[in-house]
Amino acid sequence: MADQPLKRIAQTGSLLGAAGVAQAMAAEEALRHEGAAEDLVVAEVAEPSEIGFWKLAVIRFLHHRTATVSLGILLFIIVTAMILPTFQGDLFRLQDYTHPYGSPFEFHSRTVSLAGASFSIPWTDHLLGTDALGRDEMARLVRGARVSLTVGLLAMLGYIIIGGILGALAGYYGGWIDNALMRLTDVIIAMPFILVVVAVTAAFGGVSLTVLVLVIAGLGWFEIGRLMRAQFLVLRESEFVQAARALGASDARIIFRHIVPNSLAPIIVSATLGVSGIILLEAALGFLGYSVPPPEPSWGNLLSQYEEEIQLGKLWPLAFPAIALVTTALCINLIGDGIRDALDPRQR
Amino acid sequence: MTFYVIRRVLIGVMLLFLMSFAFFGLTRLTPGPPFSTGENPRAHQELIDKRMNALGLNKPWYAQYPAYLNALVHGNLGDSYVYNQPVTKLLTQRVPNSVILLGTALIVSLLIAIPLGIFAATRQYSKLDMTTSVISYVGISVPSFVLGIFLLFAGGIWLRHLTGGDFYFPLFGMHKGSTSGLDDLVWHMVLPVTSLAVLSVAGFSRFMRASMLEVLHQDYVRTAKAKGLAQRTVNYKHALRNAILPIITLVALQTPQFVSGAIITEGIFSWPGMGLLAFQAAVDRDYPVILGVVMLVAVLTVTFNLLADIAYAVVDPRIRY
Repeated sequence: MADQPLKRIAQTGSLLGAAGVAQAMAAEEALRHEGAAEDLVVAEVAEPSEIGFWKLAVIRFLHHRTATVSLGILLFIIVTAMILPTFQGDLFRLQDYTHPYGSPFEFHSRTVSLAGASFSIPWTDHLLGTDALGRDEMARLVRGARVSLTVGLLAMLGYIIIGGILGALAGYYGGWIDNALMRLTDVIIAMPFILVVVAVTAAFGGVSLTVLVLVIAGLGWFEIGRLMRAQFLVLRESEFVQAARALGASDARIIFRHIVPNSLAPIIVSATLGVSGIILLEAALGFLGYSVPPPEPSWGNLLSQYEEEIQLGKLWPLAFPAIALVTTALCINLIGDGIRDALDPRQR
Repeated sequence: MTFYVIRRVLIGVMLLFLMSFAFFGLTRLTPGPPFSTGENPRAHQELIDKRMNALGLNKPWYAQYPAYLNALVHGNLGDSYVYNQPVTKLLTQRVPNSVILLGTALIVSLLIAIPLGIFAATRQYSKLDMTTSVISYVGISVPSFVLGIFLLFAGGIWLRHLTGGDFYFPLFGMHKGSTSGLDDLVWHMVLPVTSLAVLSVAGFSRFMRASMLEVLHQDYVRTAKAKGLAQRTVNYKHALRNAILPIITLVALQTPQFVSGAIITEGIFSWPGMGLLAFQAAVDRDYPVILGVVMLVAVLTVTFNLLADIAYAVVDPRIRY
């Protein structure tokens, strides 16, 4: 019932033939504003849908302005974090002994000669200044982005794998698997998360990127797991699954062909929003000194020197990682919101 | 019902045993024994060994567990290695601090978030609604430590410079002038409460808005409108009562977190609460304190979950166990 409007929209889209995205969207708008009954009659006689659910979701997402802008900013951050450090090499840990505590945006003129002529251009060795040890803040910031983004994406992959499989098993088979799983999540939820992460990372013998991803994934999957379980509990009893079962479909076929495709939408939304949660968690751990060890920077690490910086009355070394962190988290949250709207046919 | 409650209590007790075992193992397996950090670097190894022996820490961890469990069942959480005080005494000192801080933050944020959520829902897609949702998105994306750091700077350093040293919020445990008692407490609480409340306002107002919107679209609300009741009466008498229930549940289930404290906020503002105690204990390998905090929070969480489930069954006659 819920995806009925979407089907209608899709059919209207097909009526317009291959005329494309914009017209489909316009048709959708028209439908929504007027509920236009006569259009529907025409639409229902038309050819079967050409624009599927997922394609339509992409179209709807691309028309969500805040979400697309956020996606653009996030892609820029990701590409910068991938490309820039490879050029900068070891710059993030090289110390410029002559320039500790360098201020950002301090330009001086520098003469460059190009094709025989020489020009004087404003130049700076350290665009965002240097830290107490004379290390380039810009290089550290960009390299820190790598850690944050890698942990965010890989740990979320872990959530989906662990939570998806366990949640699906619990929801589909129920019984003791379900009980054991729910009690296990109770145990994990009742534990103070940061303390557990601190203890477990220490038990692994020190923090590295791998350990961080494993620990966060191992302790944080239950939200996706519960969501998956709830989806399976509902869909297991639905009529189309009963029909499939009556036709003699195997468990594997029912799960992968019938239930999983129908349960993906809320999982995708939750996973997207979860990535920003993981990035903020990694930053919090770095802030407490339990993320990747120095000299490797992460946004949380960069912020953990706050006491010294504040007492020196310097805010800018804290401002850049804070801005980067908040921008990334905000972009991901807005993208998640856009995806939610795009996948939810009831929402406007 | 009685059978269900008995079963849940038994499962709860079993869970607590399981957690005590898991966490006991986890603390003991963490490398770096007690007395290896922080303490006097010139402490003689023999002294440390003697202390470890006296505490039974040289035995394998699973052999230490029965003694711990025995003491735990008798309500004895042991003595802190660092403070040389009973853990129960430390907890009774620290719990009120965290409850005051987090309780105030919760009350403040609910007082702001609930009206905000209601206004946003009753005026859906208005300017106010849009502004609220933008603010709440930013609020969700700003981690508490980033906000905390900037509040520290703004309230403690910047404000002080700006007013020529007359008006500022006390930082890093210092006292402001001759203030003491309640006055001092309030001064110290302003910045941490703000930093905690911004996050919860963002979350709670979104939740309240969603809950209110859902109720406003229900049939009984339309019926009330059709009867000719004023919009205000419908919104506040009919809709609000049902819309506010989920948020009460949410708050009730978060209550145990009061006791576990807020590690980062307490750390930034040097607030002597449970979060700071637990984190410092984890760094110092002060096993009894870590376990004490974890077990206290675990007991409260299990109890509150059980109470919530029973309360549902009592309130909603459709639920049967």
